[in-house]
Amino acid sequence: MQPGLSFEQAPPISVPFRFFLTAPAFGMAAGLLLLWQGPAALASRWTGVALALTHLIAVGFMLQAMCGALLQMLPVAAGANIWQPQRVTHLTHAGLTVGTLLLLAGFLSEQALFFRIAVPFMAVSLGAFAVIVMVALFRTPAKGPTILALRIAVFGLIVTISLGATLASGFGWQLALPLTELTHVHAAWGLGGWSLLLVAGVAYLVVPMFQLTPPYPMWLTRSFSVTLFFLLAAWSITWLPLQRPEGLQVALACAAALLAVVFAVVTLRLQAQRRRKVTEPTLLFWRLAMVCLVLAAAGVMLQQLKPGEGEDYAGTPFLLGVLLMAGVFMPVISGMLYKIMPFLNWLHLQKIGKPGLLVPNMRQMIPEPRMMMQLKLHLAALVLLLGAVPLPLLVYPGGLALIVSCAWLEWNVVEAARNYARFKEELAEKLAAEQSA
Amino acid sequence: MAEERTVDGRGLMPPEPMELTLTALDSLPDGEELLLLLYVEPHPLYGILKKNGYTYRSQTRPDGTVEIYMRKA
Repeated sequence: MQPGLSFEQAPPISVPFRFFLTAPAFGMAAGLLLLWQGPAALASRWTGVALALTHLIAVGFMLQAMCGALLQMLPVAAGANIWQPQRVTHLTHAGLTVGTLLLLAGFLSEQALFFRIAVPFMAVSLGAFAVIVMVALFRTPAKGPTILALRIAVFGLIVTISLGATLASGFGWQLALPLTELTHVHAAWGLGGWSLLLVAGVAYLVVPMFQLTPPYPMWLTRSFSVTLFFLLAAWSITWLPLQRPEGLQVALACAAALLAVVFAVVTLRLQAQRRRKVTEPTLLFWRLAMVCLVLAAAGVMLQQLKPGEGEDYAGTPFLLGVLLMAGVFMPVISGMLYKIMPFLNWLHLQKIGKPGLLVPNMRQMIPEPRMMMQLKLHLAALVLLLGAVPLPLLVYPGGLALIVSCAWLEWNVVEAARNYARFKEELAEKLAAEQSA
Repeated sequence: MAEERTVDGRGLMPPEPMELTLTALDSLPDGEELLLLLYVEPHPLYGILKKNGYTYRSQTRPDGTVEIYMRKA
């Protein structure tokens, strides 16, 4: 191939790669914190340790990788251009990296000062990211279910950031806020309104594209994001300090959980119908994620419908947290990185090449056995951490497995970045040799 | 009647459809159209087409297949 066509300006490859290289480090940090604190980490969801763990994964790992992917994906997959991509990248990456460390320090030390710094710092950097991405999503001429889901997801991110900033202000300036209620709503928007909708929007595109499945049915893509948004919004309103309509709250939470099950089941069915029955790492990561999503949604429904039985049991939130973060979102992110990074390498190498000069294949960017190994390590970490709920001592091997899995992911991500540099150099050498000949 | 030129990218792993399309465009005679079938809108390809003086139009079939017709402007 290489017909010598010029490629459009995509952001430089360093834009997304710095996010992808940073995210696994926070996963490793979460594993270290588990090893350090041991079973005490599982005592309650309200301890500083539990909150630090949650934010190491949710902001340090998940949001870090998601922002990087979105910055690159918008121009490539949605035709949406980001304003000042380099500056936005610096600001967002700093906001996520330093912000996660500030939250970690704040939760572990319980010093108000860290929250006082984190609030303006994170609100400005992450808020600016969300607004700039939202503008790009409204200015793109592209239409369709992915764009709709991404717009709602970014709105969900804005709600999450606003509530997070409010909560952190409560810690920083000792404000009398309804912390429990705000935390429930903050977590629901972060995991459901932002993360799940982002995954759905991305899934409509990448599951058919990379896993060679039939497209998602239109009844799902048309209704899923809007319905989940309204359910979440209505559920959030039931937390307002009025007389709380508990029946309605339970019904709305169960409806949202059921909707997540529908999305997961449709995705699993599509994967079963894929055209080429190749089993590769990304497919398996997605499958694991969808199975965990069904389990987590069932857990949420059980918790809602049988209150009292599990309410005071600290294990339930830990179980749901592990299922959602280590079971759903971390695997989807790993699986996606293994597609996004080789694809970006290929795309950017294409731009250097010229007719007659062959660019290396996507499969040459990260060796497949190494991706498979990380899947196994992550699965081990997930099973051990879930097992730590009834058997708290499993938190030690679980934490260790999480560190090894994230270190392995880091190794694979570094390999992709190194291969890009290597192939780029090789192409430049070949070009130079041709010119001098 | 012009020979029908179609790239069916629906069963192919990216970036194969784009590679095949770019190769096919390279040998596309003036006035003829190339049809690409995919399950998604290929935004990176649209950028390349615009930059290189091609016009395109796309429509979606009820089964979700996107038809992209390309020709030299």
